[in-house]
Amino acid sequence: MKLYRIWGIFLRYYYNLLHSYDRLSDMFFWPFVDLLMWGLTSRYIANSGVIDNKIILALLGGIILWIFPWRGQYEITVNLLEDIWNRNLVNLFATPILFSEWVLTLMLVGIFKSTISFAFASLIAILLYATNIYTLGLSLLPWAGLLILFGWVFGLLICGIIMRYGTKIQTLAWIGINIISPFVGVYYSISTLPPWAQSISHWVPASYVFEAMRGLVMGNPVPPSNLLFPFVLCLFYFIIALLILRSSYNHILKRGLISVE
Amino acid sequence: MSILEVKDLRKTFKANPVIKGISFDMAEGEILGILGPNGAGKTTTLQMLLGILTPTSGSIHIFDQDIATHKSEILESMNFSSTYVDLPWRLTVKENLTWSSWLYQIPDRKKRLLQIMELFRLEKIWKMPVAALSAGQKTRVNLARSMINFPRLLLLDEPTASLDPEVASYIREFFANQREKYNKSIILTSHNMAEVESLCDRVIILKDGLIYGNDTPANLAKKIEDSYLNLRITKNKTALTQLINSHRLTSTEEEGIITIPIKEKLLPLFLYEVTKKNIQYSEISIDKPTLEDYFMKVAKEKSL
Repeated sequence: MKLYRIWGIFLRYYYNLLHSYDRLSDMFFWPFVDLLMWGLTSRYIANSGVIDNKIILALLGGIILWIFPWRGQYEITVNLLEDIWNRNLVNLFATPILFSEWVLTLMLVGIFKSTISFAFASLIAILLYATNIYTLGLSLLPWAGLLILFGWVFGLLICGIIMRYGTKIQTLAWIGINIISPFVGVYYSISTLPPWAQSISHWVPASYVFEAMRGLVMGNPVPPSNLLFPFVLCLFYFIIALLILRSSYNHILKRGLISVE
Repeated sequence: MSILEVKDLRKTFKANPVIKGISFDMAEGEILGILGPNGAGKTTTLQMLLGILTPTSGSIHIFDQDIATHKSEILESMNFSSTYVDLPWRLTVKENLTWSSWLYQIPDRKKRLLQIMELFRLEKIWKMPVAALSAGQKTRVNLARSMINFPRLLLLDEPTASLDPEVASYIREFFANQREKYNKSIILTSHNMAEVESLCDRVIILKDGLIYGNDTPANLAKKIEDSYLNLRITKNKTALTQLINSHRLTSTEEEGIITIPIKEKLLPLFLYEVTKKNIQYSEISIDKPTLEDYFMKVAKEKSL
């Protein structure tokens, strides 16, 4: 791998971001709207005395942390689509760049944009609701890491499917990770799900993070070792997703990169 | 020294063989043209040379390395320009060339970008988004991008399509100079026969996935035996008709000019007889066979 090539691909997506108001607004608009709606709803319920401030932090924390898997997945898939729409895949792959450098850059772009969106959303939460997610401390780091890895799993998987079957199923890029969100328990405890759904949640690594976050907020912190199983599970999914993407890439090399549309 | 060696290259899409076993090589500093009717397999061949399409069988060695195993190293010294790919349209010309430059090991990127801007006359469109450019300007930017890494081997697919004649001529001269100065090797596909004849040292004619001709443009043209004798007759037209018939030739007439397809070696005798029979003319010209004639012949022939 060569760093200068990774920087080159990163620049391609960075310049695109600067010129795309839709992509820029994606980074700020949806986190803002989500926070506004859920924040006001929680405040309304809190004012009625039904719930306390801890619940508000758990809800807003859920919204803010969900940014990581969502953006991690979204950036990988939408950047691939941008290259297909621009007929730019050949420009990328008829150069010395390696498949691994391209994938790594897409993942890095995901981290870059998630971090900006996360910082923005957490600032909004402080300004509008005096709710500071940073009070959760250093736990945020492994949680963010696991969540972004989870986002990449979906990003790579959807990327592989779009590469193989083309843009006729591009809607997957936007639906993406939301397909699994009911089993993640972003806003509610997994225990509220019916038993069959709980058994699915057991195999969804992100669900452990949101449970841990709620546990910490409610004063029942879970030991960090509890994140070991979801981390290994996520790593396993990640490897599978990478293999699927690689297989799709090899498949389109047999058909010709020009044929991807 | 050979920088490209293609051996028994084949490509089949599902059950449809598109390239049916082609072999050719290329010397350093050579300009090689690949011609062929639509669907002949030109683009497929170029894609395989760039490593963005996997051959069904056969091998491609560039700079003595196999593209299947050393794609990244090979493409560091190679580049391409094609009408079938676009640059990201939201980005400006400068941004597109900047990110592209980072994909290669270039000693002084800023200096190289400025050189490229001047070489391809991009000053006026430097900060314009690609979406706002005309087709000709986009072609120029694509060509500029293809030169960014000082490529030893350049693949150009229809390089002057959509360029106005003045710019097309400048681009042709530019690539000819690049070969002269830096011994660059260029593979070129084009539908402009005059361009191929003037630029290429050698031409490969592809048809239905097979090579029908592989020689210099002049030698390929020589394979057509017929030249065209054009005469504007002022006296004794009947005698000329008799002469044509006696030699079992054919003729056509357009705007007073009689055109007679005739084998080059028969020409001196025929003209001698024209004089002997007192056939008088006010205009005479001889069109020698061209690469285009050879191309047309191949295109019309039945497949092998």
